[in-house]
Amino acid sequence: MRILVCVKQVCDSADTLSVNNAGAWVEHAPKSVFRINRFDEYAIEEGLRITERHSGSVLDIVSIGPQRVQAGIRRALGMGAHHGIHILKGEDTYVTPLERAFLISEAARSRHYDLVLTGVMAEDDMEGQVGGLTAAMLAYACATNVIYEETVPDRGEITVEREIEGGSRECITLKLPAVLTIQSGINIPRYPVLSHMLKSRTAALEQISAGMLGPSRPGQVIEKISPSPPAGIGELIEGSPYEKAEKLLEILHRHSLV
Amino acid sequence: MNRTVYVAALHEKGHFMQETFETISFAQELDKGKIVLLVLADEESVTTLSRQLFLETGLDTIGLKGNFLKGYSAEAYIKTLSSFFRDKEPACVCIPHTSQGADFAPQLSVALQACCITAVEAVGNGAFTRTMFGGKFKVEIRPTKQASVLTVLPGTWNPCSHGNIVQGELTITDVPDESVSTRTHGIRESSHKNAALSDSEVVVSAGRGVGKQENIRILRDLCSLFPKSALGSTRAVCDLGWLDYTHQIGVTGNKVSPRLYIACGISGAAQHVAGMKDSRLIIAVNTDIDASIFRVAHYGVVEDLARFIPLLIEAYIKRNRE
Ligand SMILES: Cc1cc2nc3c(=O)[nH]c(=O)nc-3n(C[C@H](O)[C@H](O)[C@H](O)COP(=O)(O)OP(=O)(O)OC[C@H]3O[C@@H](n4cnc5c(N)ncnc54)[C@H](O)[C@@H]3O)c2cc1C
Ligand SMILES: Nc1ncnc2c1ncn2[C@@H]1O[C@H](COP(=O)(O)O)[C@@H](O)[C@H]1O
Repeated sequence: MRILVCVKQVCDSADTLSVNNAGAWVEHAPKSVFRINRFDEYAIEEGLRITERHSGSVLDIVSIGPQRVQAGIRRALGMGAHHGIHILKGEDTYVTPLERAFLISEAARSRHYDLVLTGVMAEDDMEGQVGGLTAAMLAYACATNVIYEETVPDRGEITVEREIEGGSRECITLKLPAVLTIQSGINIPRYPVLSHMLKSRTAALEQISAGMLGPSRPGQVIEKISPSPPAGIGELIEGSPYEKAEKLLEILHRHSLV
Repeated sequence: MNRTVYVAALHEKGHFMQETFETISFAQELDKGKIVLLVLADEESVTTLSRQLFLETGLDTIGLKGNFLKGYSAEAYIKTLSSFFRDKEPACVCIPHTSQGADFAPQLSVALQACCITAVEAVGNGAFTRTMFGGKFKVEIRPTKQASVLTVLPGTWNPCSHGNIVQGELTITDVPDESVSTRTHGIRESSHKNAALSDSEVVVSAGRGVGKQENIRILRDLCSLFPKSALGSTRAVCDLGWLDYTHQIGVTGNKVSPRLYIACGISGAAQHVAGMKDSRLIIAVNTDIDASIFRVAHYGVVEDLARFIPLLIEAYIKRNRE
């Protein structure tokens, strides 16, 4: 099996974000910490499990973003991925899902992957689109919210369970090649192994500049980004911690709850 | 010329989902051209379903009939809709942001060379608003393509009112046979349903902000102050293995509407809020004053839960002694 896992690097906490000067995207505080999108860790783990079940498999990682996203790729190599592809795209702008899917599909096209895995969504933009868009661009089959998979490469098929409302599962069989968007809880992602980590630190990553893959077709623009308005209907309870506790009990008492 | 706005009317087991009617309201607010509702179904149910929707809304309804449309599959939906739209220039295709709609919308947008905006919460001046970063930022997005595929966040628009004036017409169209390679094997019911949780009067719920598994004990202690209470959690807490999935509340977990919901260390992601927003009284404890959960809570406490909850329990005990 030839597998590609798409990994997005996200800012660890939205606390360190503010709207940038142009009012068109966010800006990170200098102290911001970045890490792999949590949903993508499940995708990496699932990809690794498939490679372990089918000998001779390879697992590549692709990540789009500025230089810093290489840390995420290296962490994935530390978990056991074989090869990293970095699509270099400048820092402080919003890259639409269409552009990102275009870049991933162009990088993937000639490599003939059997499976492309993404997370169900990125924790930052929360669009949940890149997987589906990439599938359509590559003309691959696609299943989203995958919470279980069983690959049958000899038959060129994969059977998956998609999680739907209420936690029920829809069972379907797809023809390979396919894109799966992986839901959290499908597995328990492993930690990077020290020996792999050491190797990955010096491993050569393949770097492609986004411009090389073709013209940028965003499809949409952000007109305005602003902090969500503060609390709507509610009331913040003020005071010292102990006073807050007392006031809260009083409220519960008024509602005949204590 | 005004171009048509289409709504994909999603249904399951012979019924339209509530979100379908919400999406129709959304389409009406777009105030573009004509609205046309699309019902994709097999021979057996397409007429009944389309007629039902037509009579309920009075809007133009087209039933797309295909034998491969028994039950849902992204592939069958995309093939059907792509061939339907081949000779048309839709302005927008509006789709409920459910596990089905969010599944096929992005793929459909590529087939239609449209842009795709998911989980739309508001519209205005040709731009669509959605939130990002856990609800902290509101983003207005403007399409730069002719057509847009939009998914509409559930619970944001009221279901459309029943139209007693019939303005449109009802048509049933055959979809040319397509070869669909996806095989569907039906639905397995959730094994995470938890009656004790949905029957409780008080739910104390744990989020990632609990910090570590040992701290779940603090919430259990709080829970035990109330009779008929149960411990709930976010998906994150279950994924971490701190609680099992029967505790999960949200769109892919249990739905609860207790008299009191205490959200501890929960950011308030839309997928969690979907499972608890109907609670009678919502109290949130979170260190981050900007957390989205404070937008649904009736009362908010900005504190570290590991310090605050024990204090609350202590104050309760003291109060009862007096
Ligand atoms: C298709 C799909 C379905 C999903 N279904 C569900 C679902 O059914 N249910 C669900 O819950 N999620 C679901 N999710 C996941 C959801 O998007 C969020 O990722 C999840 O709800 C976040 O959980 P959380 O609030 O515990 O964690 P986080 O978002 O990480 O929030 C933790 C919060 O704790 C606060 N905090 C940190 N430390 C402290 C402290 N010491 N004291 C107090 N507060 C503190 C932080 O400020 C933060 O607000 C789904 C996602 C997808 C894509
Ligand atoms: N910049 C990126 N680089 C690599 N993969 C990405 C990137 N953005 C999104 N993805 C993948 O697409 C998934 C969904 O992202 P989104 O559509 O932005 O919610 C993520 O979980 C990643 O697997």
